[in-house]
This record gives sequence, structure tokens and C-alpha cells, in this order.
Amino acid sequence: MHQTKSERRTTLTESSTYLNEAIAIWFRDLRSEFRTRYALNAILMFAVTTLIAVSFSIGSFRIEEAERPFLYSVLLWIILTFSALSGLSRSFVKEEEAGTIDVLKLSARPQAVFLGKLLFNLTLLGALGLVIVPSFILFMGYQINLPGFFVAVVISGGLGLGAGTTIIAAIISRASARGALFSVLSLPLLFPLMITCMKGCERAAIGINSAGWPEVRIAVAYVVIMIILSLFLFPLVWEE
Amino acid sequence: MIYKTLLAIWMAVIIVASFLFTEAATGFPGETSRILFFHVPQAWVATLSFLISMIGSAVYLAKRTVKADYVALSAAELGFLFCVLATVTGSIFAKVTWGSFWNWDPRETSIVILLMIYGAYFALRSAVSDPERSRVFAGVYSILAFVTVPFLVFVVPRITTSLHPENTMNPANPGMDPKTLKVFLGSLLAYTALYVWMLRLRIRILRLEGLRVRDLFRESDNK
Repeated sequence: MHQTKSERRTTLTESSTYLNEAIAIWFRDLRSEFRTRYALNAILMFAVTTLIAVSFSIGSFRIEEAERPFLYSVLLWIILTFSALSGLSRSFVKEEEAGTIDVLKLSARPQAVFLGKLLFNLTLLGALGLVIVPSFILFMGYQINLPGFFVAVVISGGLGLGAGTTIIAAIISRASARGALFSVLSLPLLFPLMITCMKGCERAAIGINSAGWPEVRIAVAYVVIMIILSLFLFPLVWEE
Repeated sequence: MIYKTLLAIWMAVIIVASFLFTEAATGFPGETSRILFFHVPQAWVATLSFLISMIGSAVYLAKRTVKADYVALSAAELGFLFCVLATVTGSIFAKVTWGSFWNWDPRETSIVILLMIYGAYFALRSAVSDPERSRVFAGVYSILAFVTVPFLVFVVPRITTSLHPENTMNPANPGMDPKTLKVFLGSLLAYTALYVWMLRLRIRILRLEGLRVRDLFRESDNK
């Protein structure tokens, strides 16, 4: 049963490129998530409860017209960030709890695992954004003058949330006091992104259009840097 | 020994000179501008320490020599100390000149993030029980955190204006009094030397503790 060298190469390229492995892990996580819906429920319920609490206590007319663009964008990003922090660590913690981590180590390369988990977390964040951002706008009567810019900021900020927290999730899954530690470690890294996105949403709401959308570009730069750095550092965390 | 003596003398000279040799800068209430000789070097050492901690972590991750991790940990601890000192002194100055202890000036923001990062770093170290794993994780986190700092330095100032006195208090500007500049540079040197001394002491303590733990393990193995 000896394969020739060229045959082996074709089977390798066919069955396991990084992208293939990553997508396989992504789909596997999605399937297991749809069975329990633990992370999705946790994140969405956290977000909805917070949104209701905010909306109930502030209402849509307590804040003066002029203050709204700024305060609403801050509230929106606080809700999004903390909801994300409530559930995104699940992607790695569940491997640790179910004891599937060793099999995963054997069956995929570390970078592929990272990309798969990143895609999974981004899917969760996408679901979060799709539910929370429209309901926030409806509940709070948030007037946005530049919808395109606003959507671009929310999407790039969401990508940043995923890119910044996935490797932290991998780190804390091997530590004790996981829940609290995840927020403690992630927030300092997310802070620049949060400030940028709050500012971007505020400008989109007021309607200040600036050439090239600097906030979006900063957020995209953050995403690229975090992903590249994580690809370098993740194998160290994963193999430990 | 000679290093310590020289350091003590130099430090004393700087403290005396900062009050007697230089004149207080104009445009600040009373003698408050003299904070320059203490606050800025503290902030400088805190930032330097952050850099050293990151380099120590990177070396540890590449070579897995425990000594590099001792450097990273000691630098983080001392950096935290100097960070707190810079925050407290700056906050007192802010109360006197700008009227409130905290204004979310960009530099205040970045130093608070630095404090948060150091705090998270220690929390991470204490949350992982296996020493080697704890070192690797702390190293990875240190590098991640270091990379986000430039965002803070370039992003936050775009968004809010700084209250920090730039003209007469920033050595890069020609507006600084030559006498003040001399003492300021001397103070930077003094603080850096003090930091190096403390860092080496801390590394030595960590190494001795590490040796002691190893000996204890060896004893329990022999029994």
C-alpha cells in the first residue's frame, strides 16, 4: 500500500489545506452549537436583557436631542462588547470541559484551529449584531444620518471584537476563574477598538462624513494586526 | 555597593537641584511645574518597563529560558509600581492646575490602560497553577497587549485634545529653560538607574526563590 510521492501530495492538498481544516472546524462548532445553543443563548439573552434594562431606565426621550448621538453610540458599544465577553470564551472552554481538546490537537494544525474558532466566534458576533443593533435603534429611537458608514463601523468593530478575544479565550480555557478572567484580559486589548467604534458611530449618527472613513480603517488595521499576531502566538498557547 | 552609593548621591543632588537650582516655569500656579522632574521620569520608567517586560516575554517564548521570564515578571511588577506613582503624582498636579483629579486626558487614558494591562497580567499569572504554562500564557498576553498600545497612542489623541503642557514642559520643544532641561535629563538618568538597580534586585530574588522551590522538590523526592 505504498503511495507514490505525487499521489501523497495530491491527497494532502485535497484533504487538508489550512482553509479546509478551518472550515471543517467552523462547521463542526456550528453543528455542536446548534445542538445545545449554549453560547448563542447566553450572548443573546445577556444582550437583550441589558438592552431592555438600558431602554427601560433611560427611555427614548430622557436624553436631550444634542447628546443622543454620542451617548447612544457609547451605550450600544458597551452592550455589544460586554455581551460578546459573556459568551465568546465558550468556543475554547467547551473543548476543555468536554475533553475533546486532545483529539482536536491531533486532527488539525494550530493555525487552522485558530481560524476555525475565529470564524465561529465571528458567526456568533454576526448573530448578536443582527439582533441587537436593529432592536437598539428601534428601542432607543436612534437616528442615524449616514447608515452606510454606521454599518461599516459596526461590521469592522464586530470583526475586531472577534479577532481580539479569540486567542484570549484559548488562554483562559486553561486557567481557573475563567469567566471573570476573560473580561479582565480582553478589555484592555479591546479598549482602543471600543473608543474608535464609539467615535465612528457617533459621527455616523450626527452625519459628519469624512473622506476614507478613518474609524473604519483603524478598526480594520486592528483586525489585521490581531489576526496576524494571533496566528503567530496561538500555536504556543495551543501546544502548552 | 559603589553603584548604590553613587545612585544615592546622584538622586540627592537631583532632588536638591530640582527645588533650588531651577526656577519654576511661568504659567503654572506656584511651584507646581517642578513636578516635571519626578512625574515625567516615572512615566518614562513605567513605559520602559513595559517594553522590557515584552522583550523578556518574547525571549522566553523563543528560548524557554526561565531567566527571561524572571526579567519579564520583575519588569511588569516594577512597571506597575512606577505606573501607580506617575498616576498619583499626575493626578495631584491635575487637581491643582486643571481643577479635577481626573480629566480623561489622552495621557491619563493611556496610563490607565497600562495599569489595566499590568493588572490583567498579574491576574493571569495567578490564575494558572502550572508554572511553565503560566509563563507562556503571560508572555503571549504581554506581547498582545504591547501591540495594542500604539493604537492607544495614535487613536486616542485623535479623539480628545490633550491638557498636558507641551510648550514649556516638553524637552523636545525649544521653549524649555536650559537649567530645567539639565536637571530634567539628570533626573531621567537617576530614575532609570534606580529602576535598573531595583530590577536586578527583583530578578535575583525571583531566581533565589526558584532555586529554593527546586531544592524543596528535590528533598521531597529523596524522602
